[in-house]
Amino acid sequence: MKDVMGIVYTGENDALLRELTMVRAIAALPVVGRYRVVDFLVSSMVNGGMRNVGIIMQKNYHSLMDHMGSGKEWDLHGKNEGLYLLPPFLTRENAGVYNSLLDALHSNTNYLERSKQEYVVITGSNFVYNADLNDFVRAHVQSGAEITFMYTKQPSVQRENFGIYAAISEGGEVTDIEVEPVKPNYENTLMNVIVLRRDLLRQLVDKGAAHGQHDLYRDIVLPMVQAANAKIGAWEYTGPAWLIDSVQSYFRFNMDVLDSETRARLFPDNLPVYTKVRDEMPARYGESVQCVNTLVADGCIIEGTVENSILFRGVRIAPGAHVKNCIIMQDGQVHSGAYIENCILDKQAVIKRNARLIGPNAYPIVIAKNVVI
Amino acid sequence: MMTKKTCIAMLLAGGQGSRLGILTKRVAKPAVPYGGKYRIIDFPLSNCTNSGIDTVGVLTQYQPLELNAYIGSGAPWDLDLSHGGVFVLPPYQKGKVGEWYRGTANAIYQNMAFIEQYHPDYVLILSGDHIYKMDYNAMLQAHIRHGADATIAVREVPWEEASRFGIMNTDSEDNIIEFEEKPKKPKSNKASMGVYIFTWDKLRRYLIEDEDDKSSSNDFGKNIIPKMLEENQKLCAYMFDGYWKDVGTIESLWEANMDLLTTPMPIDLHDKKWRIYARTQGYAPHYIADGAKVSDCLISEGSQIYGNVIHSVIFSGVKVEEGAEVRDAVVMPGVTIKRGAVVHRAIVAEGATIGAGSFIGEDTGNIAVVGYDIEVPAGVSVAAGQQVDETTKYE
Repeated sequence: MKDVMGIVYTGENDALLRELTMVRAIAALPVVGRYRVVDFLVSSMVNGGMRNVGIIMQKNYHSLMDHMGSGKEWDLHGKNEGLYLLPPFLTRENAGVYNSLLDALHSNTNYLERSKQEYVVITGSNFVYNADLNDFVRAHVQSGAEITFMYTKQPSVQRENFGIYAAISEGGEVTDIEVEPVKPNYENTLMNVIVLRRDLLRQLVDKGAAHGQHDLYRDIVLPMVQAANAKIGAWEYTGPAWLIDSVQSYFRFNMDVLDSETRARLFPDNLPVYTKVRDEMPARYGESVQCVNTLVADGCIIEGTVENSILFRGVRIAPGAHVKNCIIMQDGQVHSGAYIENCILDKQAVIKRNARLIGPNAYPIVIAKNVVI
Repeated sequence: MMTKKTCIAMLLAGGQGSRLGILTKRVAKPAVPYGGKYRIIDFPLSNCTNSGIDTVGVLTQYQPLELNAYIGSGAPWDLDLSHGGVFVLPPYQKGKVGEWYRGTANAIYQNMAFIEQYHPDYVLILSGDHIYKMDYNAMLQAHIRHGADATIAVREVPWEEASRFGIMNTDSEDNIIEFEEKPKKPKSNKASMGVYIFTWDKLRRYLIEDEDDKSSSNDFGKNIIPKMLEENQKLCAYMFDGYWKDVGTIESLWEANMDLLTTPMPIDLHDKKWRIYARTQGYAPHYIADGAKVSDCLISEGSQIYGNVIHSVIFSGVKVEEGAEVRDAVVMPGVTIKRGAVVHRAIVAEGATIGAGSFIGEDTGNIAVVGYDIEVPAGVSVAAGQQVDETTKYE
């Protein structure tokens, strides 16, 4: 749809992701062998026909900028519009650090004003999904709602003390919202994806700033729902979704994609996921290889044993090395005789000869970027 | 504003490649897939961009659709520039005259106006038939150093094969003193690679003269080079000793793919300083299932392997079902090999489906080929050397 713009907010809390987000935002987390979280979000927008996509960046945004570049891979390198990277900046009103989505939008009022589209889709970056946003926006426009939220009934994304849940009427209207309840009472998890008119968004952002309000849900949407003077819609996303809020959930997400059926649902033919191209040659397998239930990206050289794992681009598994239930990011190496299980190797990590690293299944070991063991 | 380029490249991509049989029925030879994710033309285009040559004309006339779409804006090779870049040049009407490219020299002659836009000092002539990594800039520097009018890249071939090539006889300073096209008794084993650098002013003069010569077949090897030699122009040989493979036949295309499975690879495609770029589809990583067996092979993104893949090159988006076996084979993008089928010493072209339990190819003999989008039914056999297309009757 031509008349819709997209905004990706990447300022989520990432404390539980430990070493993985020390060097990057959640949006820039490498996932599923060759992607970053943001690829799913931006590709959904592009597949939904959006030609103006802004990415609000917060901290550690270097890798995000490097990844997105000019937006070419997403066909967002247009002359008039395209990709806008929106880093934080210091002004009289803005300390350079956003407290929330509302703050961030307020700091980017100019961008919102300059854009021409009638509608805005805003997504957070801690949910991974691949949605048909055309359907989402169309449902919003047809329902006449002021704001429409995307939600999922999938229980795996529910958390204690975290998340936003909604009661939804049969007609698809939000009748109650709970923000970070101790235990959610509703099965509908809002996915931090909303659509509304751009002029309404600007009003809400101005109003929030004027009243010192920071929380879109508690301060703005909840009163609207309670006053029952505005129609708040909900649209169910029935594809697979993951909430990436901890090392465990990050690990789970990647491992889930090893299932062929899940993979087919995450990568439907009509919704391709675009990412930065690295021009590696196809993966090369040696002679006495054992490789099962594994996703392998281009540029890998596999000569050892690999099971139930995800190998990113340029990973090398030496003869006699054994890798089980692991995620190995770009250019990682496992040398001969090494055994690793339940580990996440960040980029360029190296496991030297005969090293043994076995993490518990429920709490994978994270080896930080560039570390040699 | 005048755009000035020191050297631009002209890539002759118009050949039909009829010796590739059904593989070039629908696409021009330079667009034929190779090496799990590439097409033949990726090699000269990547060589250009890696050599700092940023203006490339690609001359097409046979089945150009796929090649045009593949080249597109040139972005995968960093050739989408405001000044220069890659241009697809089909034959076109000039005034009342319009004609096909009659020969390699005529194809360049017909595009002199394109070349003149860039006021180049030198023009590099390439073909889209070979797999090799070559620094054209080093060759250009040699051409300039020698003050040559033309420099021809040569490589040493086995003496017993020399009579199949255009052979250069040189003096001790690499000056070409004689050129023999397919000599019966070769005096040298330095074979032309079909890569030429010309000083443009000279080449332009010879192209115009050649065009006026009605008896000429307008070919670089047959006409332009011999004429320049005859008239004592300075022609130099430039030795190249890297991997260079002609992929003009089914057997040589298959061999060139199999070359990538030897260790070390005779052509290093991992080389970060000389990447070979390709237009890619954006598939997810490939998946090797429980119970699958992969050994000694190349597998590209988006493929799903449930069966056995041994000593083969698998392109993107290929599915090898349970119990199927692929051995010594080249399987191009989007192919499905159904349950229990066996593909052995074969090339399966883009989009084909091999029915359950069918046998493609044999242990010995020539390479079997299954054409584009062909659906081979279940339970049939395709013999060694057989080429399967729409008209094939199965036994």
